[in-house]
Amino acid sequence: MVQYNFKKITVVPTGKDFIDIILSRTQRQTPTVVHKGYAISRIRQFYMRKVKYTQQNFHDKLSTIIEEFPRLDDIHPFYGDLLHVLYNKDHYKLALGQINTARNLIGKIAKDYVKLLKYGDSLYRCKSLKVAALGRMCTVIKRVGPSLAYLEQIRQHMARLPSIDPNTRTILICGYPNVGKSSFINKITRADVDVQPYAFTTKSLFVGHTDYKYLRYQVIDTPGILDRPFEDRNIIEMCSITALAHLRASVLFFLDISGSCGYSVAQQAALFHSIKSLFMNKPLIIVCNKTDLQALEGISEDDMKLVMEMKAEAMKTLIGQGGEPTNDEGVLLTMSTLTEEGVIAVKNAACERLLDQRVELKMKSKKLNDCLNRFHVAMPKPRDQKERPPCIPEAVLEAKAKKAEQAAEKQKKLERDLENENGGAGVYSASLRKHYILANDEWKEDIMPEILDGHNVYDFVDPDILQRLEELEREEGMHQEHEADDFEMDGAELTPEEQEALAEIRKKKRLIVQQHRIKKSTAESRPTVPRKFDKDKQFTSERMGRQLSTLGLDPTLAINRARSKSRGRKRERSIDKGNQNGTDDMDVDGDQPNKKLRLRSRSLSRSRSRSKSRPPYEVLPGEGLKDSAQKKKAIKLAEKSHNKRNKDARKGEADRVIPTLRPKHLFSGKRSTGKTDRR
Amino acid sequence: MRLEKCWFCSSTVYPGHGIQFVRNDAKIFRFCRSKCHKNFKMKRNPRKVKWTKAYRRVHGKDMTQDATFEFERKRNRPERYDRHVAEETLKAIKKIDKVRVDREARHYAKRMKGKKAQVQKEAANELEQSIHMVKAPAALQKEPSLTLPKVYQKQTEDRMEE
Repeated sequence: MVQYNFKKITVVPTGKDFIDIILSRTQRQTPTVVHKGYAISRIRQFYMRKVKYTQQNFHDKLSTIIEEFPRLDDIHPFYGDLLHVLYNKDHYKLALGQINTARNLIGKIAKDYVKLLKYGDSLYRCKSLKVAALGRMCTVIKRVGPSLAYLEQIRQHMARLPSIDPNTRTILICGYPNVGKSSFINKITRADVDVQPYAFTTKSLFVGHTDYKYLRYQVIDTPGILDRPFEDRNIIEMCSITALAHLRASVLFFLDISGSCGYSVAQQAALFHSIKSLFMNKPLIIVCNKTDLQALEGISEDDMKLVMEMKAEAMKTLIGQGGEPTNDEGVLLTMSTLTEEGVIAVKNAACERLLDQRVELKMKSKKLNDCLNRFHVAMPKPRDQKERPPCIPEAVLEAKAKKAEQAAEKQKKLERDLENENGGAGVYSASLRKHYILANDEWKEDIMPEILDGHNVYDFVDPDILQRLEELEREEGMHQEHEADDFEMDGAELTPEEQEALAEIRKKKRLIVQQHRIKKSTAESRPTVPRKFDKDKQFTSERMGRQLSTLGLDPTLAINRARSKSRGRKRERSIDKGNQNGTDDMDVDGDQPNKKLRLRSRSLSRSRSRSKSRPPYEVLPGEGLKDSAQKKKAIKLAEKSHNKRNKDARKGEADRVIPTLRPKHLFSGKRSTGKTDRR
Repeated sequence: MRLEKCWFCSSTVYPGHGIQFVRNDAKIFRFCRSKCHKNFKMKRNPRKVKWTKAYRRVHGKDMTQDATFEFERKRNRPERYDRHVAEETLKAIKKIDKVRVDREARHYAKRMKGKKAQVQKEAANELEQSIHMVKAPAALQKEPSLTLPKVYQKQTEDRMEE
C-alpha cells in the first residue's frame, strides 16, 4: 500500500535565495583564478565551465522540484480532489509549468552563450559574456519567484495533511457542525481533536485509528457540512465532500436530535437528502447523538417522521449491498458521547458493516477464488450416525491420571510461601545457609569474622596451620636463645664534664653557622660598613676580655695592649672610668661581670661626654648613610613599607568618600548601547 | 570484604577508604589515600620514596623474607567451613603476629647494633678536634683534660698585691 506522504518534498527556496545558492555554489566549486596572460583556449574554457555549471545546477534543482511535487492526475483521485479543493488544480499546474519553462529557458540561454564563448577573443569579452549569461539566468528565476513562493506554501501545507490511506478500511463521520463528530472520534481512537462549542471547530480532516476484530480501521473526522447548494460551499466543507465522494468507507451520519447544535432535525434531514447521492454503495449508519439531552423516543412526530425517512434511505443501501434485508438494527443507532453509552455499539456496527461489504466485494472479485480453498476445512461426509471419538490407549490414560495425582500431592513448599508466612518481604529474611553441606550441622549459622587485627582471616585459613605454627614457635625459641648470648659492649663513655664541653662546642658551632646564614641572607640589604666604625659595638676591649676569659686565658695583657693602641676617645673614657672608680682602669671588666651593670656603667660614663638622645636624622659614622637627607629618606621609606595599626580610629582609605556626587560623565551624554533611563 | 594493600605505600586499605584505579591493561592499583594516589600520578617510583614500605624493604630497613609472611597468602580455592579450623586460625593469627613483631624488633636491633659505639666514637672525635673552640690551647696545655676551662677570675688578693 503506497503511503501518501508528502513530507518528503524538498524545500523550495525563494527566488532570491535560489539565485544566491546557485551563484555561490558556482563561485565555490569552479576554479576562480584567471589572468589575461593565459592561453585564450584556457580562458574560454574557464568561462564556459562557469556558465555550464550554473545551468546544470539550475536544471538539477528545478527538476527535483518538478518531480517531487505530485502530479494530480497520477495520484489517487481522493488526494487529487483534496489537493484541488485546497490549492486549486489549475493554479498548481500553472506554477509547476512555469518552473518547467524556466528550466528550459535557462538551458537555452546556456547553450547560446556557450556557443558565443567559443569565439571570445579576449578575457574581457569572455568575462562579459559569462556575466550576461548568468545575469539572464538569474532574471528568469526572478520572474518565476512568485511561483516558487506559492509552491513553498503548498509544500508546507501538504506536509501537514493527514496521512489517509484511501484503500484501507475507513469509517467516515459526517453531519452538521457541532453534532458531536469530533467527540466521537476522540472516544473511539487516540486522536485528540479539538472539541469546542462553536461551529467549524474542526477545519480539516482528522484521522484516528481504531481496532475491531484484530483489524485496524481508519476513522476520519470531517468538518461539518451546511445545507447549501454545491457551488456555494467553502473549502472546508469541500474537504469533507471530497472525502465522502472518493473514499470507500462506511459512513456515519450524525444527527443531533436534541437540537443543541443550533440546527433543527428538519435542517439536518434536508442536508441528508441533499448529499445522499454521495452515500451510494457505502454502508450507511444514522447515528442519533446527544441522547442524554433528548432520547430518541421523546422527539416530536414530525422529527420522528424525518428520522424514519432517513432510516428508509439507509435501509436501501443495506438492501442494495445484498446483505440481510431483515436486519435493520445496524442502521439507526442512538448514543451519547458524553455518557459514553452506545458509543462502542456504533463503532462495532460501523466496522461490522464495512467488513461485510469489503468481504463480499472480495469474494466477488476473481483473484480471491484462487485462495478460497485455503480457507476451507474439508470435513468428510458422515456416512452413518455412529460416534467415532479419538482413540487413547489405556496405559496413557493411567499415566495421565497418576501424574495428575502426584501434582496434586507434592505441593513443594516454596521459599516464597515461607516468606509470606513469616511476616512478608520486609520482616522475614531467608536464611541462605539452610542448605549448606557441613561436617556438623550446628555450624550452619556460625558467624566467622573476615578481618582480624588488620589481616584477612581467609588468607590464613589452612588445614595444617597448627603444624606450621608449632614449627614457627620452635624456631622462635631457638632464636631467642641465641639472642640472649650476644649483647653489646659498652664503649668508653664521656664523663659529664666532657659532655658539657661537647655540648658547648656544638652550641658554638651552631651559633657560627646561624650567624653566617643571617649574614648571607641579609648581604644585599645590609650596608657594608668598614669595621672601624663598629656600629654594633662588637669590637670592644671588654668583650674581648670576656671571650678570652671564657676560653681560660688571662686577658689583662691583651686588654692593656688594645687600650694602649687605641686613641682619643677611648683613652678619655678610660680616664673617666678611672676617676669614677678610683682604681686602675683595667679592673673594670673583672669587677663587673654582670651585663646589666656593665651597660649601665657604660651609659653613665658616656653621659659625661654627650647626651643620651640623638635627633633621629643624625647620621652616625658606622651606619653606612651619606648624609642626614639620605637618612631621612631611608626612615620615610621604612615607615611607609609597613602598615601601622590605626589605633586612633582615624578615617582610612577604606572609609568611603565620594569626591563628586554627580560626576558629569555618568549623568550626561548618550550611550552607544542601551537605554539612559537608569542613571 | 577484603583488606587490600596500597600499591604505593603498602599500608592496608580498609573498606570505604581510598581510590582504586584500573588501567587499560586491566591492572588494578589501589591507594589508601590521596597522598599515595597523587604520588602515583606524578609517576614516582615507590622504591625511591623514603616513607614507603617498598623503599624500606629494598634498602634493608625492614625485613623482607620470613616464614611469618608465608602464613598470609591469598588462596583462591574456597575451603569448606569447619568450626575447629576457624577457631584455630583465629588463635594462630594472634600468635603469628606476635612472632612477626618480635622478629621485626630483632631485625631492627641487628641493624642498629654498633650504633651506640659509633656515636660515642664520633663524639669523642669531635670533642678532641674542636676543643680549641671552648678552651684556648694555652689553657689546654696547662690542663690537658678535654673539659671546659675555669673562667679566668681576677682574685682580689692578686689585685691587692699589685
